[in-house]
Amino acid sequence: MELNINGIQHHVDVEPDTPLLWALRDDLAMTGTKYGCGLAQCGACTVLVDGQAVRSCVTPVEKVAGASITTIEAIEQDDLGKRVVAAWVKHQVPQCGYCQSGQVMAATSLLRQVPHPTDADIDAAMVNLCRCGTYNAIRAAIHDLASGSTDGGA
Amino acid sequence: MTNRLKKIFTVVIPASAVLAAGTAWFVTRFPASSFEKTGSQGEPSAQLVARGEYVSRLTDCVACHSVPGGAAYTGGLKMVTPMGAIFATNITPDRERGIGAYTLADFDRALRSGVAKDGHRLYPAMPYPSYAKLSDDDVKALYAYFMKGVPAVHLENRKSTIPWPLNMRWPLAFWNVVFAPSDVYRPDTSKDAQWNRGAYLVEGAGHCGACHTPRSLAFNEKGTDSRSAAFVSGALIDGWFAPSLRNDANTGLGRWSEDDVFRFLKTGRNDHAVVFGSMTEAFNNSTQFFSDDDLRAVAHYLKSLPGDGQRDGTPWQYEPTQTKALQPAGRQGIPGAQTYMAKCSFCHGADGRGQGQWVPPLAGAASSLVPDSSSSINVTLNGSGRVVAAGVPDSYRMPSYREQLSDGEIADVLTFIRSSWGNRQSPVMKPDVKKLREQTVPASSSPVILKTR
Ligand code: FES
Ligand code: FES
Repeated sequence: MELNINGIQHHVDVEPDTPLLWALRDDLAMTGTKYGCGLAQCGACTVLVDGQAVRSCVTPVEKVAGASITTIEAIEQDDLGKRVVAAWVKHQVPQCGYCQSGQVMAATSLLRQVPHPTDADIDAAMVNLCRCGTYNAIRAAIHDLASGSTDGGA
Repeated sequence: MTNRLKKIFTVVIPASAVLAAGTAWFVTRFPASSFEKTGSQGEPSAQLVARGEYVSRLTDCVACHSVPGGAAYTGGLKMVTPMGAIFATNITPDRERGIGAYTLADFDRALRSGVAKDGHRLYPAMPYPSYAKLSDDDVKALYAYFMKGVPAVHLENRKSTIPWPLNMRWPLAFWNVVFAPSDVYRPDTSKDAQWNRGAYLVEGAGHCGACHTPRSLAFNEKGTDSRSAAFVSGALIDGWFAPSLRNDANTGLGRWSEDDVFRFLKTGRNDHAVVFGSMTEAFNNSTQFFSDDDLRAVAHYLKSLPGDGQRDGTPWQYEPTQTKALQPAGRQGIPGAQTYMAKCSFCHGADGRGQGQWVPPLAGAASSLVPDSSSSINVTLNGSGRVVAAGVPDSYRMPSYREQLSDGEIADVLTFIRSSWGNRQSPVMKPDVKKLREQTVPASSSPVILKTR
C-alpha cells in the first residue's frame, strides 16, 4: 500500500483494513500521532487527510491510499499549522500534552474552513477530549489566531 | 328414563368420549418419521459425521442451543415470550439430560415435526416448520454428528417459567396442523438446480424466515416459501428489524448484486452493509461456514424474489446536499447534526457513505430506509457485536452510546440520519428510544416477543 504522508511517498506492507494510526505508529514509527481509545471517541489520533481532520484509528489505509496525509510531525511546514503551534505555545495550552497533537490538527482544520470561528463554532468543531481540561486555553488560542495577533512567532 | 336422557346416554356421551379420545390421540400421537423402520445402523462413518457437522452450520443449531461461555449445544438460552420464558435445551448426546437416548426416528420427529421423544410438542421457537424441509440425508447426517461428533455434557435443562395452564403443550398439535409445513423440500422443476439448492437453504436449513418473515397473531410466519410475497419481506424481532431479503430497492436487496450477497454472507461485509444485531451471530456461527457453492445458491435464490414497490417506496438516490449543511456554522441549526458530526461522522463520513466495506454507509442503508427504526436505535444504544470472519476479529466496531447520549439526542441524530443524503424516513421519537433503552438492558424482565433466532 502506498501512502503519501507529509509530502513523502511511503510504502507500508499492511492489510487494507489496517487503521491508518497503526500504519503511522507501528510501521512508520511516526509516534507523534497518539493512540487514545481506538474507537473514534477521543480524537488523540487526529490527522489531516486532504486538509480535513480525520480520526486515524478508524480510517482504513485502503481509504486514504492516494490522498495527501498530514501528521503532527509536519504541521509546521504549513503556514496555518505553524501559526497554530505558535499560538499553542504562547497560550501554554498543553498540560500533559497527550491529546495535543490531535487538538492542533483539529484546530488547523477548523481555521481552514472557518477563519473567524465564534465560540459556538469552536464548541461544534473542537470535540476532541482533553483529560487535563485545557478547553479554555484551546478556545483562547483559537480566538487569538482568528484575530490575527499571533503571527507564527516570526 | 325420558327420551332425552336416553339420547344423552346412548349418543352424546359416547360421541363426546370418542371425540375426546380422538383429540387425545391426535395431540399426543407421534408423527410419522421416514426412519421408523431404520434400526440401529452401527457406527456412522467419519464422512457422515463430518457431513453432519456441515449441516449443523447450515441449520445453525448452536445459535440457540448454547449460551456465551457455556459448552456448545448444552442449551440454556433464554427466550422470552409474553407468557413467560422458555429455555433452549441440552442437545448433546448425554443419555439422561441430552438427546443421547434418541433414535434416529426420535431425532427426526423433534427436528422436522417438533415432537420430543416423550411426545411433548416443542414450541415453534424451535424452527421445525423450516427444518421440515430438510432432506432425509441431511437429517441422517445431522443425527450422526450429534451422536458422535458432539461431546456429551451432563447438564440439566432449565424449566420454563410459563405458568399452568398456558404451559400445556398439546394445543400446539393443532397449531402445527394449520401452520407448520410437514413436507420435505420439493424442487421446483421450472427452476435450475442452483435456485433449488438456494431455496432449500433459505426456506429450510438456514431458516432465514424465522427472523426475516413477518409473523401473524398466532406467531406463525406469514409465508414459508418463494410463492408468498410475505416470505423474508422483513420483520421486527428481538428489538431488531430484520430487513427484507427480497428485491426491494430501499429496504431489501434490490441494489445488491448476487456477488454482494455472496460476499456479505461469506465475509460479513460489503459496500452496502456490515452484519450487526442478531445477524452477527448468524454470520459468526453459520453463514461464513457455508461452501462457496451453497452461498452462491443462496444469493441466486434471494435475488429471484421480487420486491414490492408499494411497500418499499420510491427508490433511494444519493443526495449530497446535507453534506454542505454540516459545516460548523450550519450544523448548529439542525437538530442532530452536531451530534452526527461529533459522534458518527468520523467513521460513517460527513457524506454518510461509510468507508468502503469496512464501515457501512448510513446513506441508503436499509436500516435508514425502513419505517421501523428499531435497528438504528438498538445499534446506537448498544453498539454492534464482534464480527469474526475466518477467525479474525473485525478492526472497526460500532461502540455503544447508551451512556453518552440521551434519549433525545439519539432521537435527533437518528432523525437527522434518516432524513439526510436522500434518506426519507419518518422521524425517530424519544419514547421509542426510551422503550428500547429499557427493553435492551441485559437484566430487563420486559418481554421481547418471541425470541427466535
Ligand atoms: S484514538 Fe482515535 S479517536 Fe481515540
Ligand atoms: S493536555 Fe493532557 S489530555 Fe489534553
